[in-house]
Amino acid sequence: MTWYDSFLQQLVDGLVLGSFYALVALGYTMVFGVIKLLNFAHGDFYMTGAFAGFGGLSLVSGFLGAGWLGIFVAMLLAMLAVGCLGVVIERVAYHPMLGAPRLSILITALAVSLVLQNAALALTGGQYTAFSTDLGFGGFNLGNLFLSYNQIVLVTIAALLMIALELFVSRTLYGRAMRAVSIDKDMCRMMGINVSAVIAVTFFIGSGLAAAAGTMAGAYYGSIWYFMGFLIGLKAFTAAVIGGIGSITGAMLGGLILGLLESFGTHIPFIGSEWKDVFTFSILILVLVFKPTGLLGKSEVERM
Amino acid sequence: MDKHSPPTNPDAREPDLHEPDLHEPRPRNLLQRLYVAFESPGRRRALHLTILAILIVTPWISSQYTTVILTNALLYVVLCLGLNIVVGYAGLLDLGYAAFFAVGAYTVGILTQQFGVNFWAAIPFALMAAALAGVIIGGPTLRLRSDYLAIVTLGFGEIVRFTARNLEITGGASGLSHIPEPSLFGWHIDSSIDFYYVFVVLAVLAYLASQRLFDSRLGRAWLYVRHDEDAAEAMGINRVATKLAAYVIGAIFGAIGGIFFSVNLGAISPESFSFQQSVLILLAVVLGGMGKIPGVILGAFIVVLGPELLRDFGTLRLLIFAVLLLLIMLFRPSGIWPEKRS
Amino acid sequence: MGKFLKLIASAAVVNLAVGSLALAQDGPITLGVQVPTTGSEATYGKDMYNAMMLAADEINADGGLLNGRQIELVTGDTACDPQQSVNAASRLASQEVVGVVGGYCSGATQPTLKTYGDANIPFVIVAANSTQLIPANPGNAVMINSTGDDQAKTALDFFEGKGIEKLAIVNQGDAYSQDLANLTRDAWTGAGHTVSAFEYVNKGEQDFSALVNKIRGSGAEAVFWTAYYADGGLLIRQLRQRGFQGTIAVGDGSNSPELFNIAGQAAEGVFAFSNPTADFLPAAKQFTSDYQAKFDNAPGPYAPLAYDGLQLMAWAIDKAGSTDGDAIIKALNSADGQEWLAGPISFTPQHTLARSNFVVLEGQGGKWTRYEK
Repeated sequence: MTWYDSFLQQLVDGLVLGSFYALVALGYTMVFGVIKLLNFAHGDFYMTGAFAGFGGLSLVSGFLGAGWLGIFVAMLLAMLAVGCLGVVIERVAYHPMLGAPRLSILITALAVSLVLQNAALALTGGQYTAFSTDLGFGGFNLGNLFLSYNQIVLVTIAALLMIALELFVSRTLYGRAMRAVSIDKDMCRMMGINVSAVIAVTFFIGSGLAAAAGTMAGAYYGSIWYFMGFLIGLKAFTAAVIGGIGSITGAMLGGLILGLLESFGTHIPFIGSEWKDVFTFSILILVLVFKPTGLLGKSEVERM
Repeated sequence: MDKHSPPTNPDAREPDLHEPDLHEPRPRNLLQRLYVAFESPGRRRALHLTILAILIVTPWISSQYTTVILTNALLYVVLCLGLNIVVGYAGLLDLGYAAFFAVGAYTVGILTQQFGVNFWAAIPFALMAAALAGVIIGGPTLRLRSDYLAIVTLGFGEIVRFTARNLEITGGASGLSHIPEPSLFGWHIDSSIDFYYVFVVLAVLAYLASQRLFDSRLGRAWLYVRHDEDAAEAMGINRVATKLAAYVIGAIFGAIGGIFFSVNLGAISPESFSFQQSVLILLAVVLGGMGKIPGVILGAFIVVLGPELLRDFGTLRLLIFAVLLLLIMLFRPSGIWPEKRS
Repeated sequence: MGKFLKLIASAAVVNLAVGSLALAQDGPITLGVQVPTTGSEATYGKDMYNAMMLAADEINADGGLLNGRQIELVTGDTACDPQQSVNAASRLASQEVVGVVGGYCSGATQPTLKTYGDANIPFVIVAANSTQLIPANPGNAVMINSTGDDQAKTALDFFEGKGIEKLAIVNQGDAYSQDLANLTRDAWTGAGHTVSAFEYVNKGEQDFSALVNKIRGSGAEAVFWTAYYADGGLLIRQLRQRGFQGTIAVGDGSNSPELFNIAGQAAEGVFAFSNPTADFLPAAKQFTSDYQAKFDNAPGPYAPLAYDGLQLMAWAIDKAGSTDGDAIIKALNSADGQEWLAGPISFTPQHTLARSNFVVLEGQGGKWTRYEK
């Protein structure tokens, strides 16, 4: 392979990885937008979504098959289930805390994360579950560049979800309310916006997107387990901050950038891949030091 | 719960001379009554002496297991009081506190085990290294607001852990082992009871230092900066120096914990300094009550003893612990023993 | 709050009572099981615990030990964290267990050696095999897993036999897989060959595309994965998916039938270095089917060793004829090469397994078969 082919391959792979990060980062950023909470349990919604998608696929594979059609339907089921779970968790755990110090809500989110993780551990007995599908390894070569059909479907679904979200936020009434709530909650209340309902919708969409990413990751990579949300949660959080937390376009951009950073980070000459994460976090710190609000974030003054 | 409590005993509500607060509701349940009761200086001293006496006697009347987990709890008291200076006093959210803990532990581990430096001679180096780390992490981040600060500190914490994992001198993923046990004036510190007493001393020192800092000029500067940075600056407080001081002092507390942690275990490896470790320390601080020393100490004991007391539940123990945490946060959103003056 | 405090208090009382419980002379024999049952390594810990439970049930059904005393297992959850494992070990010591079997993560096992050493409790280390453990052993522990040195030697011979020149080595950045990767790299370059890529991945990272490209770009003829099956399965899948045609081999941590579930078709023709297990000994076949029947999944990579560890401890107690620590430690060290599931056990003066029993396996038809060449 020439350096050019290799570069293209990294680019494609980075974009695929980045679209997973972007889907998860969107949930972080939306929830942060409306209630200023860093939802540390978000990675676990991704994990729950993977298991829900697994369950959904075993329900529908009988008549839809375990190809992309079945997976797509299973994904919708998982989005619905985990979206509802997100709403319930917001009601039970976060809603009562809205007046509390910001750090307290953060700790509540950590507790929710621990609950979800350990509940999944108890339910699965800690086993890795093979997410078996009928997806083949097929793909095609463009010169030396390899693209698998699965990658193409994945990126398409991710892109469609993101476009749908963008349309929802910019065109619909709820989307507008969501943006208003993220600017000034009290004012919204005075204007007669049902703030609680808007928060619920936000949680539904955010968790749903994480579930979509979880199901697709399970189907694409082929195995799921109770701890799978931790690392991606951390990375999506990073992606959301790079892009500018609270900004939806920022989250997408941040996810893609992080995916590319990781993809190219493995190939830095003279430095082994063991330094890849050090490289990623250093970039993150540099971005924040020179552009403290992230790439697309608006500066705002807030207090803990 | 309230129905079961007897009517408030007027005696138990001795006026709090230091921090009068008219908005504080009448203490209703047992816990509130207890801590209101102990906020008068005389009783506080009696309480301190009682706790100290209990700490000194405990290892002689309980099992080795109890001694070991109490040692662990006291280590967390030191760490939590250190993080409390950063988070509780200065209001800076730190998700990478384990980095300072690691710097202390690794500096002493490397110096004593690989260069044969005497343990006590290695301590100043570890403290300097931690202070330097505090400046490096604190320096570029001081402009940032809380959430961005959180992720930058998280990033630094992970960088420190990955570096420890990748370097030869830190022993890679296996870490360092056979860190020699220290001696003090002929006393060879090696049994679990010896280390227990070392940590009792450290925890008491950390407590006294936290108390002095809280009442100091610097402590008040932190308070002002935390409440209103701009106003504080207008009043002539050097915002950057004040925040940096919090980082450096917090780092030194963390390093002290790490220094004695490394000789206590005799072996250290990167997994002791993970993101989860930072989160656990933060959890203890917030759970107990940010900024409130007794609250933070209580938090430290809860995060260590909680999972231990639940050991009989096996795999479910962390699930139960997490549900309990959630309930505590829901019923006491500002922590179990919150700081009133903020 | 009152209720919560009461709960904590009552839990504390229960705990203290358990802690100081003295064992009656003819009561059950309590053995400690030191494995991670929470945290990211719980998968492997549960698997080991299950295997030991199976062994204990069998012994109890056969009439127990020392004139009918039953074996009782108590778990010490290490969560694969050094601090937690010291807590767990001191708890087991305070519960006056007769012996301890387990030890999965080397990093978390190491500080517990002193705890058991001080209490003179015999300890059979079944999985942890970092060379770091050897000097830390005060003499009460024995290691029944071959150490990384032995496996690196097996790997060297295997890859040389395949005529490989350029080898890619991938580990997961934990003590075990990094140790094995380093040892293999040193052995490989020491024999005059080239390590074309030496790579790390994070546990739980699912996407290895960049890594696979790098390996392919490096011209590696073979890939050696030194860590565990869960992530190994994903790596194998992605290597084959992207058209890597060379030899793939995995270390003993990946020797699990579950690898085939995760990697699917891609695991065909993959080689593994391992103790001879399951399919090669009649007794182990029985073990595999019993395990499958009881726990509804296939035994993981350390299940046979965990089973052996408990059986060995029981054998030593029986041989010592008492629950006295010194007598059991002496009996353990006198193990004389008797055959167990994973092969013969006898110990060197350093209390490690006397001979390397690594063999090469090959994935064929969805299971491991013995590879001879």
